[in-house]
Amino acid sequence: MQKLTKEIQDTAKKLLEENKVDLVVGFAKGSLPLRSTPYFARTAEQAEELVWNQFCENNLANYLKKREEKVAVVAKGCDIRAIVALIKENQINRDNLYIIGVTCQGMIDRNKADELVNGKEILETETNGEEIVLKGKDLEQKAKVEELLYDTCTRCAYGNPVIYDELIGEEQPAKEPNFEDIEKFEALSAEERAQYLAKEMEKCIRCYACRNACPMCYCDTCFVDESTPQWISKRANSAKDNLIFQGVRVFHQLGRCADCGACERACPMGINLSLLTRKGVKDVKETYGYEAGLNPDDKPVLSDFETDDPQPFLMKE
Amino acid sequence: MNKNNPYLPIPMRLVKNFCETEDKLIHTFDLEFVNKEDQENFKYLPGQFAELMVYGQGEAPFGIASSPNEPGILKFSVAKVGVVSKALHLLEEGSTVGVRGPLGNWYPVEDLKGKNIVIIGGGFAFTTLRSTIQYLLDPVRRGDYGDITVVYGARNPGLLLYKEELQEWENRDDINMVTTIDRPAEGWEGRTGFVPAVVEEVAPSAENTVCIICGPPVMIKFTQPVLEKLGFTPEQIIMSLEMRMKCGLGMCGRCNIGSKYVCKDGPVFTLEQLKKLPNEY
Amino acid sequence: MIINKSEIAGLLDNLVKEYRVYAPVQKDGIVTFEQINEGTQAKPGATSKKPPKEILFPQSEELFNYQVDSQGLRMEDKIDDTKSVAFGVRPCDAKSMMLLDNVFHNDEYEDVYYTTRRKNTLIISVGCNQPASTCFCTSVGSSPFDTDGSDVLLTDIGDSYLAEAITEQGKEFLCKLNLPASDDQAKTKAEETKKQAQLTSEVDTTGIKEKLDDMFDHPYWESLYEKCLGCGACTYLCPTCHCFDIADEAKDCAGCRVRNWDSCMFPLFTLHGSGHNPRTSGKERWRQRAMHKFNYFVERYNASACVGCGRCIKNCPVNLDIRQVIADIKAQDTGSEVS
Repeated sequence: MQKLTKEIQDTAKKLLEENKVDLVVGFAKGSLPLRSTPYFARTAEQAEELVWNQFCENNLANYLKKREEKVAVVAKGCDIRAIVALIKENQINRDNLYIIGVTCQGMIDRNKADELVNGKEILETETNGEEIVLKGKDLEQKAKVEELLYDTCTRCAYGNPVIYDELIGEEQPAKEPNFEDIEKFEALSAEERAQYLAKEMEKCIRCYACRNACPMCYCDTCFVDESTPQWISKRANSAKDNLIFQGVRVFHQLGRCADCGACERACPMGINLSLLTRKGVKDVKETYGYEAGLNPDDKPVLSDFETDDPQPFLMKE
Repeated sequence: MNKNNPYLPIPMRLVKNFCETEDKLIHTFDLEFVNKEDQENFKYLPGQFAELMVYGQGEAPFGIASSPNEPGILKFSVAKVGVVSKALHLLEEGSTVGVRGPLGNWYPVEDLKGKNIVIIGGGFAFTTLRSTIQYLLDPVRRGDYGDITVVYGARNPGLLLYKEELQEWENRDDINMVTTIDRPAEGWEGRTGFVPAVVEEVAPSAENTVCIICGPPVMIKFTQPVLEKLGFTPEQIIMSLEMRMKCGLGMCGRCNIGSKYVCKDGPVFTLEQLKKLPNEY
Repeated sequence: MIINKSEIAGLLDNLVKEYRVYAPVQKDGIVTFEQINEGTQAKPGATSKKPPKEILFPQSEELFNYQVDSQGLRMEDKIDDTKSVAFGVRPCDAKSMMLLDNVFHNDEYEDVYYTTRRKNTLIISVGCNQPASTCFCTSVGSSPFDTDGSDVLLTDIGDSYLAEAITEQGKEFLCKLNLPASDDQAKTKAEETKKQAQLTSEVDTTGIKEKLDDMFDHPYWESLYEKCLGCGACTYLCPTCHCFDIADEAKDCAGCRVRNWDSCMFPLFTLHGSGHNPRTSGKERWRQRAMHKFNYFVERYNASACVGCGRCIKNCPVNLDIRQVIADIKAQDTGSEVS
């Protein structure tokens, strides 16, 4: 990781010094254990603050939309899928973007780490290759990094960036996308599914961190904020309305969601949001053989039409 | 205001729903108190506002256009912009509406005694100014004040509010009423020109005078230097601000400018007070 | 007085018969304050994800119902005067309620929904033996065993809690519980516990109000907001943030007026009907948040609107740390100090 950090810093410094870009968006050390924080470097000196580690959980594509200046971004596989999707939607100008792609083995889930130490407070961590040591007062817990990764990361098949201007890190072994979690959920009865979703939606506080963390959510006014008409209740204690909020978000993301898990990571209440987004990802893949943000040259699947498109929802085939 | 719970509106009856302007975007509403007790408790002064509620739609804040010396009714002139105002425009006479108020502070009519008063208004922001003029012209207190000069402008004659009253005031000799429209228009024999230019022409003296100004931001922006040239100091210029508001009680937190809540500490401020606040409105 | 930990559940069971009892409850790994029906549900000593301000100021509440029909207008307000106990509140959260009191009962108006609940709710706090690394209460004028806002303060002394009455109501409440008196040993233990509770996080807030007086137009705000997502996690989880929205939910002429938490971090918060917005970008919104907490609130109520609970630090999706913001503000050059 230190090697990657150094390479990122050097690349960023060079880009800034040679005036190839005005800004490098990356990560800096966070103020808490298990955290890195989005960082905006505009000088070579600031570029020395950039880091790379397994806590770089945010999707930086979020910061690249509608920018006027020339920007470089330190981006992992899922960030780049979102970037590709946003280029197609005219939100990012590829000509003004320099992508420092970083291969990725997954990011560490803070909540999993907290669960592992059973309520104790993690004050420090130490990573030794495959192993991480979680330290605190009367605490020294070893764990395999692999076991603490975000679920979206363990099921991700795109650790290798699909496009980049420069690639940092070792190539990751190829993987197949894995939808076991969704298959398991689909196997439940309708009642069980409804119950599970109701329980999750009860936790929602409508802070909209999920929506705002999502690189693909950029409507000028989100439908939940509309007042004429007011589509859903503004009450957070209405689990039904919360589900409509998430449901509509998922529908709006069909064929666009880069399956990065940013929504779920941002949620302070620990709602299993990727269950919904990934169901959408799986359905689009099964119906149209399409995954968002993989191919810079195709059209977003729901913006395109072919006469032999399957239409199981319209007619019997 | 409901004494026990400031969130509860008092019921009022809509007795007149009058289309005020030619573009039909402004209606004036006369409301009558349903309960005598509410009428006695509703003590207000020019410059204050109230939350007007349409049952089933919600509430929104509007300046009170009537004056305390017009007992029994409250008058509001409302532009059709949001959910509540649109619903208001469609209300039939005789309907019940809710009113929460009076809210906010008022033009300092007590402190103005013995002084000349200049009132400058533009467009449909003339509502609380109408209240002020009615109040000052009341025979029981007209003698408390010096000269009263009013400059009121609108884009065209059809957009002037309270046309009959403007006419009446123009005919009186205890008020210098100057009405203007932006450009010459057919059938308009009065003055033309933008408010700042007309103020410069009318050139009221700043001596022992206070100016109350309320209108669109652009009018205020260009009138301010004219007033300065005429010798008005920031203490002599009084303004009324608009902000997005909800509670009207200084609690919901959205209408602040610096540490002041426009709904409760305002909406009336002197320019001197505003200069000490952040420029965020 | 002494409460044995093994007797807490039983004690709460008894309270439930007489009061509505709120306590920290753990569900799915998340602790929130909820109304409990039996004592075993409570997890005293746990810090809730959402602050207990929601006991007095719920995220969503119906203010009144109304109906207009041929019989005229009927209105019914929904003021809740149920006798309640909030058990296991953190001292920082109890202190936040004192700050909220200023807002909801100002020099002119009383928010009867809040004040009625407040008057009818006893606050039983549990001091913090082990403040978290994100806690910085001592930097904002509080401490792990602060008694401000509590009726009773409990100190965890191992197998039991030492209970101290802070207010008259707290005293009456404790008397009714018929608890054994605390002996000298317990008192000594409690004193030691209080002394040992050390914070690891500190940030210098002295003079921040005055510093901010001159900072409205400072370039610092240009960079502060850059990584902020503009979500409401920090404000909704803050024990002192009190902004709200009022909306009607109605069908035809029958409906109810609802109050919901709102956030200064949302663009719609200040959007005028005309389309004008005095706070157009994250820059103005973050400035408002910082200014409100450390300048405007101080100006109005002579206290900063931050109790140092650290929830905004832990829960920010992008790790924007308010301690860093405070330190940065302190470090800015405002020109006014140049003599």
